[in-house]
Amino acid sequence: MNPLISVRNLKKHFDVGEGMLKAVDGISFDIHEGETFGLVGESGCGKSTAGRTMIRLYEPTEGELLFNGQNVYELSSREMKEVRKNFQMIFQDPYACLNPRMTVEDIVAEPLDIHKICHSKKERRKRVMELLELVGLGKEHAMRFPHEFSGGQRQRVGIARALALNPKFIVCDEPISALDVSIQAQVVNLLKDLQAKLGLTYLFIAHDLSMVRYISDRVAVMYLGHIMELADSEELYNTPLHPYTKALLSAIPIPNPKEQRNRHRIMLEGDVPSPINPPQGCRFVDRCMYATDICRQKTPRLEEVKTGHHVACHLVKEINKEVL
Amino acid sequence: MGKVLEVKDLKISFKTFFGEVEAVRGISFDVGKRETVAIVGESGCGKSVTANSIMQLLPMPPAFFKGGEILFNGENLLDKTEKEMKEIRGNQISMVFQDPMTSLNPTMKIGDQIVEGLREHRKLTQKEAEQKAIEMLDLVAVPQPEKRIHQYPHEFSGGMRQRVMIALAMVSTPQLLIADEPTTALDVTVQAQILELMKTLQDRLDMSIILITHDLGVVADMSDRVIVMYAGQIVEQGTVDDIFYRPGHPYTRRLLASVPHPNLSKDEPLQAIEGSPPDLYVPPKGCAFYDRCDRAMKICKDHMPEFISHGDSHCSRCWLHHPMAKQVQDLGKEGA
Amino acid sequence: MMKEEFTISPDMFLPASEEDRDAEKIRRPSIDYWPDVWRRLKQNKLAMVGLIIIVVMSIMSFVGTEINGFKYYEQHYDLINSHPDSVHWFGTDELGRDLFTRVWYGARYSLFIGFMAALLDFVFGVLYGGIAGMATRKVDAVMMRIAEIIYSIPYLLIVILLSVVFSTSGQGSSLFVMILAMSLTGWVPMALLVRGQVLQLKESEYVLAAESLGADHRWILKKHIIPNTLGPILVNVTLSIPRAIFAEATLSFLGLGLQAPKSSLGTLANDGLAGMAVGHSYQILIPAIFISLIMFGFNVLGDGLRDALDPRLRQ
Repeated sequence: MNPLISVRNLKKHFDVGEGMLKAVDGISFDIHEGETFGLVGESGCGKSTAGRTMIRLYEPTEGELLFNGQNVYELSSREMKEVRKNFQMIFQDPYACLNPRMTVEDIVAEPLDIHKICHSKKERRKRVMELLELVGLGKEHAMRFPHEFSGGQRQRVGIARALALNPKFIVCDEPISALDVSIQAQVVNLLKDLQAKLGLTYLFIAHDLSMVRYISDRVAVMYLGHIMELADSEELYNTPLHPYTKALLSAIPIPNPKEQRNRHRIMLEGDVPSPINPPQGCRFVDRCMYATDICRQKTPRLEEVKTGHHVACHLVKEINKEVL
Repeated sequence: MGKVLEVKDLKISFKTFFGEVEAVRGISFDVGKRETVAIVGESGCGKSVTANSIMQLLPMPPAFFKGGEILFNGENLLDKTEKEMKEIRGNQISMVFQDPMTSLNPTMKIGDQIVEGLREHRKLTQKEAEQKAIEMLDLVAVPQPEKRIHQYPHEFSGGMRQRVMIALAMVSTPQLLIADEPTTALDVTVQAQILELMKTLQDRLDMSIILITHDLGVVADMSDRVIVMYAGQIVEQGTVDDIFYRPGHPYTRRLLASVPHPNLSKDEPLQAIEGSPPDLYVPPKGCAFYDRCDRAMKICKDHMPEFISHGDSHCSRCWLHHPMAKQVQDLGKEGA
Repeated sequence: MMKEEFTISPDMFLPASEEDRDAEKIRRPSIDYWPDVWRRLKQNKLAMVGLIIIVVMSIMSFVGTEINGFKYYEQHYDLINSHPDSVHWFGTDELGRDLFTRVWYGARYSLFIGFMAALLDFVFGVLYGGIAGMATRKVDAVMMRIAEIIYSIPYLLIVILLSVVFSTSGQGSSLFVMILAMSLTGWVPMALLVRGQVLQLKESEYVLAAESLGADHRWILKKHIIPNTLGPILVNVTLSIPRAIFAEATLSFLGLGLQAPKSSLGTLANDGLAGMAVGHSYQILIPAIFISLIMFGFNVLGDGLRDALDPRLRQ
């Protein structure tokens, strides 16, 4: 079955004066209809940029994005406006992504207004109420302003807005990072519900690995603009093959004292480097404990080493002798 | 064994246009020597206000102390003058904040900032202080410290800056370190490094730590005892094992259940807690968790529960543990 | 901690009903943006004084001419240059016209010119600044250079030029020319302000969200950026009125003001200039005082507005 979205060699570079910031430097993957594709990584890895470039909020430096067979980057602005009805985004900061001067009703109805979908005020209001109900808010919330709501509620308004045009694909850009822990669960449950109800496909970008594992079907790990590993989420968490993924997973503190204190943890040296003028070969070379010469010279390609499990590492077989 | 810090019935409110907001509504806890006490809670629960109040860093107005004491080595900090507090701050009690960017002066070289901190608390010459600054950066594992003392904060990454913050806090071997969400803004691999660093320093310097966080994983990793705050009150306290394996308060239980853990199946929804914490502008008369609690009883609405002990040092504030509650439940089971 | 004395009875431990708990309740009364600004403004006594002055002046400029029965053009040759008394409260000018009536007549034009100039500044400034802010960097640079050049031309020159171009018989300029002269260069500060705001707000996440929904530049400007810049714009408008009034007064004082019989406070002051040497200083003092009052009123109101809008001072 053809994937809903195909990303081919996507690149997004920014000219920042002192060099090229290669936020996204050649990533390729497919997303299937109805799936939740997780994209994880630490700051500077390019995951947010990738998400925004995929829905063409940024123009790509190179690469293609095929949606229903069409390359989205080749569309004219009018055609793009149509396609946008299918691509929506939920943002990270619930305090910033809603215009403080607009009522909730106007915010949620904005996509309808832009695309002139409703033909009467009554129709518009009806649709807004439907959407608010879908996300667990009520009539009494429609006439209020964003600052009167909690973070979790604001995020739900953002979700309602994203659903207004009945999109097929939603990019969730760190939708829960700014929320309290118990509220995160609310929003995640809501997203899953909506997915089941409306047949949505998600790209879930986050740095909270435990949450990504829970919500995603497949997960890709990014580092400095490249994908290091891509696999089914259980497979990735149980059997990580890339040294970076292993370090990343071992760094997440588990909310279980006995387990946490008895873990063997892989400590990485140094900090996440800057994506400006990145190293030539494997992006992880400066912090990798297995790095050899070939790692510095040649960028490893993302290859399938087990069914459905892709890794970009020259030494993947040597490092994981027990598993491969 | 003397307690380094004893907080007794602390009450702090803020004067706002809407009226008084009761941010902290009567909390009491202790911190012992070499102990790490974690204060866990969500935004608005009062944990940051509590931390800042120990160091008396709250802007007074609009904040004001409504009651209670903060005893540091037996002396009430609330009775101290600003001059006396200045002696204590950075010296005996140090603080590390969430965002190192705003706590460091962007126009001063890192070395100069450490030197300034050093010379304020110790009698050192410029040269001695510089040498010490290099040692401190080394202590917090900043590579090439001799070079880096000449750099500015923006030339450091987030993790490095946080290390500098910690170095600044360690300048005079404090007895108590208050860390307010020290790793929240950091990447997970860097977080792991910083937590390790804090543990190492704690061992070396015999320090007590108050760790404020909302990340239960960090709590499990670092703390000896845990205090759970909700809506300006402590709802449960105990050892880290007590809290994680024998939670008494429904909020604690729900909090633990809302975090995804490795064994959770994907088909099960996460146990979210519906709604949000109450607005402390109109603090609820009874239990603050009433509106969101699935085990709420009639008494919970109008009457604030008292602390009920579950064994030494573990207690929670919930009517469910009142002896009469159990009776009624048993009766209910029989009758049904 | 006071222990409440109440008896605990078993039935209190029964489960609470669903309806009794409301998890999504919003307890705090809602306070909208503009009412909050008004509230903060009200607390500023000086700004309120300014507001009252402006309101009184505006009302009087319409009503004041009818109060004491004299017409503004009515000439009483027997009473020329008479000092203020119980009949002519502000005295008369060199043609025997009642100054009280003429002051309010003049105020009408001063205020009108001020408001109109500010209005035109607002319209052009917002349009130009909005477009420059949303445009590409190159277009923006060009637009800004043009604006700077225009702004560096002294308006005095422009007024003279315009009054020659639109020359009418007799001395002085028409109302149209005056307003045009004020606003031909006066819109630039507004445009700069709006452009600055646009550049800043352009990066907001809600603008990004609107883009992801398919909004174009025009929509974003109209719906998202301008409404969020109204505060600073309002302050700027309020402060540009006294600037325009003063500029008009200056021009009138130099003889380039409104043609007789139309007069503004500035032309009145100009007329009264001659009287200063011969002991009729009231003829210039009184219009000057009123010019100052109006400017003071707008300035303190504008300052008060600026403070009331400052989010950092918000409690």
